Amino acid sequence: MKSKIMNLTDAVREIPDGAEIAFGGFAITRSPIAFFNELIRQGKKDLIVYQDVVCMGTDMLVGSGAVKRLSYGGGSLDRFGRVERINDAYEKGTIDAREFSGLSIAYRFLAGSLGIPFIPTKILLGTAMIENLQKKNDDSLMISSSPFDDGEKLVLLKSLQPDYAVIHAPYADEKGNVMIDGPVWDLEMGKAAKKLYVTVDQIVSNEFVKSHPEKVTIPNIYVHGIIEVPYGAYPTAVYKMYDYDGDMLTKYAKCNKKQEEFDEFLKYYVLGTKDHDEFLEKCGGVKMLSKIKADPVYGYSKNWGDADEQH
Amino acid sequence: MNSTDFTTNELMAVTASRMLEDGQNIVVGLGLPQVATLLAKNSHAPNLNIIYEIGVVNPESVDTGVGIADPRLWYRSEYFTSFVGSLGSVLHRGLVDVGFLGGLQIDKFGNINSTGIYEKDRFRHINGSGGAADIASYSKKVFAIAKHQNRKIVELVDFITTVGYLKGGTSREDTGLPKCKDIRIITNLCVMNFNNEAREMQVESIHPGVTREQIKENTGFDIKFDMDVKITDLPDEKEIYLLRNVIDPKKIYI
Repeated sequence: MKSKIMNLTDAVREIPDGAEIAFGGFAITRSPIAFFNELIRQGKKDLIVYQDVVCMGTDMLVGSGAVKRLSYGGGSLDRFGRVERINDAYEKGTIDAREFSGLSIAYRFLAGSLGIPFIPTKILLGTAMIENLQKKNDDSLMISSSPFDDGEKLVLLKSLQPDYAVIHAPYADEKGNVMIDGPVWDLEMGKAAKKLYVTVDQIVSNEFVKSHPEKVTIPNIYVHGIIEVPYGAYPTAVYKMYDYDGDMLTKYAKCNKKQEEFDEFLKYYVLGTKDHDEFLEKCGGVKMLSKIKADPVYGYSKNWGDADEQH
Repeated sequence: MNSTDFTTNELMAVTASRMLEDGQNIVVGLGLPQVATLLAKNSHAPNLNIIYEIGVVNPESVDTGVGIADPRLWYRSEYFTSFVGSLGSVLHRGLVDVGFLGGLQIDKFGNINSTGIYEKDRFRHINGSGGAADIASYSKKVFAIAKHQNRKIVELVDFITTVGYLKGGTSREDTGLPKCKDIRIITNLCVMNFNNEAREMQVESIHPGVTREQIKENTGFDIKFDMDVKITDLPDEKEIYLLRNVIDPKKIYI
């Protein structure tokens, strides 16, 4: 059996400066933080980034100065706060921020995953997003009329097959069959990418996959590399594995308001650690991680990290 | 029920809840829209399908989440899918009856801004669309809950994130967008609709104890009143009981 297992450092070395790269993750859940941190440690530059709805890691990547262009459908850190490094870069024009809606980016990935050139739709018509994209001569969409002569006005969203993509999942086998519990908003992106890297909390046997084939959300056909990083999405949540760390997210949402404070955060937690294990140690280590373990029935921690206790 | 026996938030939630009909498919976000939808499901509309854009259908949460990406919100769901599975195969497919939104600003023609605000000489970026733009384009009806302040209910939004009736009249259809049957805005002062030829915001009902002057003062343009403007119906005891004891016992939103 050909193994797709890689280590994180080598996987990230494969991503060149200026690469076109898409990310999974949504706000405070399944953000591939370990991969984002390693991209930052390796000092990547000029990345062209795509994401339906951005997450904590994307905000860190933009704040670190690694991103040249970001095409995204907006996003936040939910009630913890905003993606202020992205907002700041948008306002100051330090990145080329191109704002879409969530579905329009997802449709571009869907077209990519189906191998069709574009998807006709009516989303974005009349919005300020389409106006701004046209001002920037963005080549990912055009307004057209239906070829079926029914007078329908349409937006054609161009297919997107990003060179690289990264998702975090709870499980995969070494062949690259990926299992994700809960909603899978990043499925189409994973299937569209030319090289998909999946960081997983745990590698399971192919025997386990064969006894639960219905649980495979992304089969190995699409996968380039599987990277085992326990708690690889920390401090964001992985459904049925571990909860988000509310204290850490609160701290981040405070630091990301100002570049200087964000830089301090980055220096201490990311640039000041050699890998994800050290990062987890600095965040509180095993003692902290045992508190955020998910309850198998609820899928999140019932004792700690509860939003109700924080507010 | 006496008008001193409930809060303004409770009245807003009840008013919005009564606009939902049993059997409808609703795409909803967190906050008061979710509270209103859950109230409807627990009272007159047990067969509502509640859809969250992240790909979660009909959950029954027992702990309050911080957002739709919080697994607390996904507890006891009936279906997990993708963005394309929810906003594509359900919304874009034409199966969503009501899209329930919030926003930073709402304008005279029902356009909503959830992206950012002009402050002096700069544009302050806040959140952006997420699925909101998609929801406003393809839902048969759009409801929104907002605070009634003259910087929030405005002549023209700073940024059209989600489309209403654009510039009024037939401009929405002329742009090529699907028709929207109804837009309703529920605020702490009144309920507004756009059921006139110009597709311009008008007051449909005024909450008990609120004056026309108060509404005018807190609106960023010269607001119209419907010919037969009503007083908003009062909540009943069962609805208030459900809100306080079943839907939001920890009083996060109410």
